[in-house]
Amino acid sequence: MNEQTNIIVDTATRMFADGVDKALLDAAETGVFPVALWQSVLATGFHSVGSPDSGTGLGELYAFLDVAGASAVPLPLADTLFANAWAGTIDGVSGIGEVAGETIVDVPWGRVAERVIGVVPGSAEIVVVDAVTVLAEGANMAGEPRDTVALPADARRISLARDPLPLLALARAAQSIGALRTVLQSALGYAGEREQFGRTLSNFQAIQHSLAVQAAEVAAARRAVWAAVDSLETDRAEHEVAVAKARVGEAASLVCEAAHQVFGAIGYTHEHRLHHFTRRAWAWREEYGNETFWQQQLGLHIARTGADNVWSFVTGR
Amino acid sequence: MLELDRVTLPEASEALRAQVRAFLAEHPEHLAEPNSDFTTGHDPAFSRKLGERGWIGMTWPAAYGGGERSFFDRYVVTEELLAAGAPVSAHWIADRQSGPLLLRFGTEAQKQAYLPPITRGEAYFSIGMSEPNTGSDLASVRTSAKQVDGGWVINGAKIWTTDAHRNHFLIALVRTAPPEGKNRHVGLSQIIVDLRNDGAKVRPIRNMAGGEDFNEIVFEDVLVPEDRVVGEPGNGWKQVTSELSFERSGPERFLSAFRVLVEFVRMVGADPAPHEAAVIGRIAAHLMTLRRMSASVAGMLNDGKQVDVEAALVKELGNNFEKWLPELTRLAAPADRDARRAWRTAYEQTQLLSPSFTLRGGTREILRGVIARGLGLR
Repeated sequence: MNEQTNIIVDTATRMFADGVDKALLDAAETGVFPVALWQSVLATGFHSVGSPDSGTGLGELYAFLDVAGASAVPLPLADTLFANAWAGTIDGVSGIGEVAGETIVDVPWGRVAERVIGVVPGSAEIVVVDAVTVLAEGANMAGEPRDTVALPADARRISLARDPLPLLALARAAQSIGALRTVLQSALGYAGEREQFGRTLSNFQAIQHSLAVQAAEVAAARRAVWAAVDSLETDRAEHEVAVAKARVGEAASLVCEAAHQVFGAIGYTHEHRLHHFTRRAWAWREEYGNETFWQQQLGLHIARTGADNVWSFVTGR
Repeated sequence: MLELDRVTLPEASEALRAQVRAFLAEHPEHLAEPNSDFTTGHDPAFSRKLGERGWIGMTWPAAYGGGERSFFDRYVVTEELLAAGAPVSAHWIADRQSGPLLLRFGTEAQKQAYLPPITRGEAYFSIGMSEPNTGSDLASVRTSAKQVDGGWVINGAKIWTTDAHRNHFLIALVRTAPPEGKNRHVGLSQIIVDLRNDGAKVRPIRNMAGGEDFNEIVFEDVLVPEDRVVGEPGNGWKQVTSELSFERSGPERFLSAFRVLVEFVRMVGADPAPHEAAVIGRIAAHLMTLRRMSASVAGMLNDGKQVDVEAALVKELGNNFEKWLPELTRLAAPADRDARRAWRTAYEQTQLLSPSFTLRGGTREILRGVIARGLGLR
C-alpha cells in the first residue's frame, strides 16, 4: 500500500471504531440513517475517495471499503463512492441498484438517497436519477435497506468506460474481507477468554484447528481481493473479479459457520455484535452475482479457451 | 491475523516462463505420461537436462553451481514443470530442501562436495525423518549415531522414505546424545548417508496406488565417515524444523491434481453445461488464489523472512484443494463412456494418490497446529 492509502486506512479505521457501535447498528437496521456518522465521512472527504479529481483511485477506494466492512459501517459507501466517481461528487448519499423495467431495485438506502444510479448487467451504460421516488422499502438479510425506486423515462444516461458490475461485485468482496477479518479477530479473542473445563477454549485442539482453518480462509479471501484490485487496469480484470467474488463467498460461508460455533449460544443472541458481521458476509455473497454466477462466468471462459490453454489462462496477467 | 503480501511476479520471471514452456515443447519424449504430482516420474535424463538449463539450485550461489536467481524465478520454473506433468521426482527433494539445508548449515567441504552435482541434476537426495515408531512426533526418533574412531555408527530404521531405492543420498535425523530431561530437542543431529555405498538396507514399500516410491531403510552398524554430520552435532532439531518451511509452500502443494482439471475441461468441451462451467470456475478460483499465496511466500523467502506459518497456511489450503478437485470433477462428469476415458485415467491416478497429499511434508493436523501457534493460540 502507498502512503496515501495508509493514511486513508488509518483515519477511517479510527473514525469507524469510534463512530460505529452496537446501538448505531441496531438503529440503522430499523431504518434510522446514521446522520452524524455520514457527516463525519463528509467532513473528512471520504465520500469522494476514488473520484477523478480526488487524487485517489480504485486502490484507495477498495482499501477504504475493506475498512468499512471491518466495522460493518451502516452507510451506502460503495454506492456513494462509485456514484460520485461516475456522475460527479455531491454532498448527499447515493444508492446504486439494478434496472428492472421502470424501476431500480435493491437500492441501498434508497429512502434517503439524493441520487440513485441504475445498472444493467452486461452494459457499460448507467441511468442516473436525480429526483428519487421510493416505491417500496426493503432490506437484505443483514437488515441493510434495499429499496425499490422509480426509473423515470427521462433519467440521465451515462456511458462508462467499463461494465460497472465487476467493480460493484468487487466492492462487496472488499467489504466482506473486512467483515471476515473482524469475525476472525472476535473469535480469536473470545477463544482466549472463555473458560470451560478449567481452561480457555484456545487450549482445546478442536478449537485451535477450527480457528486455523478460519484464518486460512480469511487469508485466501483477502489475497484474492487484492489480486483482483491489482488487475483492474488489465484486460483480465473481469476474470480476476470472478475469482475474488467466488472465493470470498466460499470463505464467508465457512468462516461465519465456524466462528459462530466457537462463540456458542452467546454469539447467537441479538445482543452480541457478531451477527452484524456474519449476516452482512452472508448477505453480500448474494449481491452482484453469487459464487455460482461468477464460477460459471469464469468456467465458461476457460472452457472456450480450451483444455490445452487452461494453464496459460491461470498464469496470465 | 495472518495476511500475505501483495506480490506480483516480476517481468523477468514471467520471461523465464516462456523459456520453460519452449523447453518442454522441445522435449515431448519426457512428457509421455504427464502427472502433476511431484513424486511421480523419476527421470534422471530429464533432471540432467534441467541442470544444463540452470533450473536446479536456481537461488544458490554461483560458487556452488547455483544460478543466484530469485525465489520468484524458481517459483515459475517449478510451477511450469508441475503443470505440464513433467517427471521431476529425481532431483526434486535435493533442489527444494536438501540443497538449501546444506547451504545454510553445511560445512564448506559439504557445500563443495554435494551442491554442484545437485545443480547438474546428477545427485538425488531423500529425507530421513519418519521412523516405524515416529511419525508426526518427530522428536521421538530413535535411530542413533554413535561416534567411533573414523566416524559414526548408525543403528535403527527410517520409513516412508520417498525414492530411497533410486536416489543417492539420505539426510537422516538421528539421536547422537540423550535428551536432557524432558527436552528431547537436544542431542539430535542430521547425517548424510550414501544410500548406495554405506551398507544401509533399502526395501521398497508398495503403496495403495500400486507404485513403489517409498521405502524402509534399516541401519545395522552402518559406519559413515566423520564429515557426514550436517553442520554441528546436536543442532539437528533447529536444522530440521527450518528445512520444513522450505518444504511446505511450493506449487507442489496445490498442483498435484491439476491434470484432472485439464482433462475435465477437454471432456466437457467449449460449450459446457452450467454446472460443468461452475465446477471449472470454482476450481480455477481456488487455484488462482493459491498461486498468489504461494508467490507471496516466495517473496518472503526472497526477503529472507521466516515463513513457517505462512507456508503451513498454503499447504493446508493447497492439500485440501488437491483432494476435492478430483471429487468435484467426478460428480459433474458426463456419463458418456468414450468421452470420459482420458479424464477417468487422470482422475483415478489422482484419487489413488490423494491420501498422501495431507500426510507428506507434515500432516493436516500438524499444519493446523503450526497455524494455531502463529495465531497465538498455543
